[in-house]
Amino acid sequence: MEYVNPLTGFRVDGRRPNEMRQLKGEVGVVARADGSALFEMGNTRVIAAVYGPREVQNKGQQVNSKDALVRCEYRMADFSTGDRRRKPKGDRRSTEISLVIRQTMEASILTHLMPRSQIDIFVQVLQADGGTRAACINAATLALADAGIPMRDIVTSCSAGYLCSTPLLDLNYIEDSAGGPDVTVGFLTKMDKVTLLQMDAKLPMDTFETVMDLAIEGCKAIANYIREVLLENTRRLECQRG
Amino acid sequence: MESRKPPPSALVDNHVVPGDVVLDLAEMTNQTIKLGAGLRQDCDTIQATSAGRLRLSKPSKYWVESSQKRYIPSVEDTVLGVVVDTKPDNFLVDIKGPNLAFLPVLAFEGGTRRNIPKFEIGTLIYARVVKANSIMNPELSCMDATGKAAEFGQLKDGYMFDTSTGLSRMLLSSPTCPILEALGKKLSFEIAVGLNGRVWVNAPSPSNVIVVSNAIIKSESLSGIGQRSMVESLLERLS
Repeated sequence: MEYVNPLTGFRVDGRRPNEMRQLKGEVGVVARADGSALFEMGNTRVIAAVYGPREVQNKGQQVNSKDALVRCEYRMADFSTGDRRRKPKGDRRSTEISLVIRQTMEASILTHLMPRSQIDIFVQVLQADGGTRAACINAATLALADAGIPMRDIVTSCSAGYLCSTPLLDLNYIEDSAGGPDVTVGFLTKMDKVTLLQMDAKLPMDTFETVMDLAIEGCKAIANYIREVLLENTRRLECQRG
Repeated sequence: MESRKPPPSALVDNHVVPGDVVLDLAEMTNQTIKLGAGLRQDCDTIQATSAGRLRLSKPSKYWVESSQKRYIPSVEDTVLGVVVDTKPDNFLVDIKGPNLAFLPVLAFEGGTRRNIPKFEIGTLIYARVVKANSIMNPELSCMDATGKAAEFGQLKDGYMFDTSTGLSRMLLSSPTCPILEALGKKLSFEIAVGLNGRVWVNAPSPSNVIVVSNAIIKSESLSGIGQRSMVESLLERLS
């Protein structure tokens, strides 16, 4: 199967190799949560809810009482994929992605300002079309900002791959399933620091750097968009109040 | 001699998001500034840690004004708390903060070992924050600075609901918030607003309580004119 058209240079879904899918973000979507967000990257749709900082419920979980305990739970809705395959709640993939999101968000959250408390991040994939972990990190960032939890910087994530000798930005499910290398990057834009780097398969070093740079550019574009969403939300609240 | 005039910042009264550099300290020699909520120092820069509007109060105090559902305790704030547990020396009170607050059994007017108040779990209390450190639980008191009960203590009857911290500040702002002014002209009711985003309303009739509560909840997304017109339409339906 041709993932990149050799004549036009377009991908399966009509995008250019360095073109992202359409982004859409919305905050305050869950009334009962302290902070919540809905984030869409093309056909991938994710909802995140944040509760906290609040009293630690299970004292045994808190290793260091000088920092806040960050907990994360990632789940895919049964209706999120085409084949409707039911996954048990604690399957290995979900556990791994939960850990990845938690570690990425911990790099951004100023946990030392909230000792002896816990922050819960719940992420649910409503619709999956590749790049779910990147979308989850972006949704979690928006939800944390909505909850007013102090952060060093906005942390964003984007994936990039290498198919048909072409670096591709923001892979969809078809491209993701092709078996080529897939690099997911988490990035603190203002601080210019990488907080997450995951890669499936192998890549030569020079190609890897090209793909990673492409993913970082994607992260920067997402950061600009998330920034606009947050600013627009703050402006909207103030405009409503006159 | 130190120059204490406020340093210029292009972002004052503008919106900021986490990571935004608000001030560059390298350009500000011999100037004293105070940092409030939502800001932190990172090397030679002051950065925002939360989304909101950057504010400056004379001479040179900077903070980020934002609205959340959670409350970060601050000394001298008045809060509405719910008793969640009782201990021999203090009550554990939920004030919507990162930790439960302590309310000592002697922190009441004329409080002695002989007249310790009996509060059941779920009791609503209007109190004042007297200690607020991140490393320890906040401490509350049901007395003002002079040791008098003032308006603090248990709130009986009425109805309590949660709002955002931004709405609480708006309700307590001076001059009087348009919604409370408009409601106060037509209805008689008691109200206690906690800076932690909780509001308690009491009125002679349940219908008045419902009207006042709904009006306050809806007022968060309305301007002053919108608030007044909403109150008028609500009262028309009531009469």
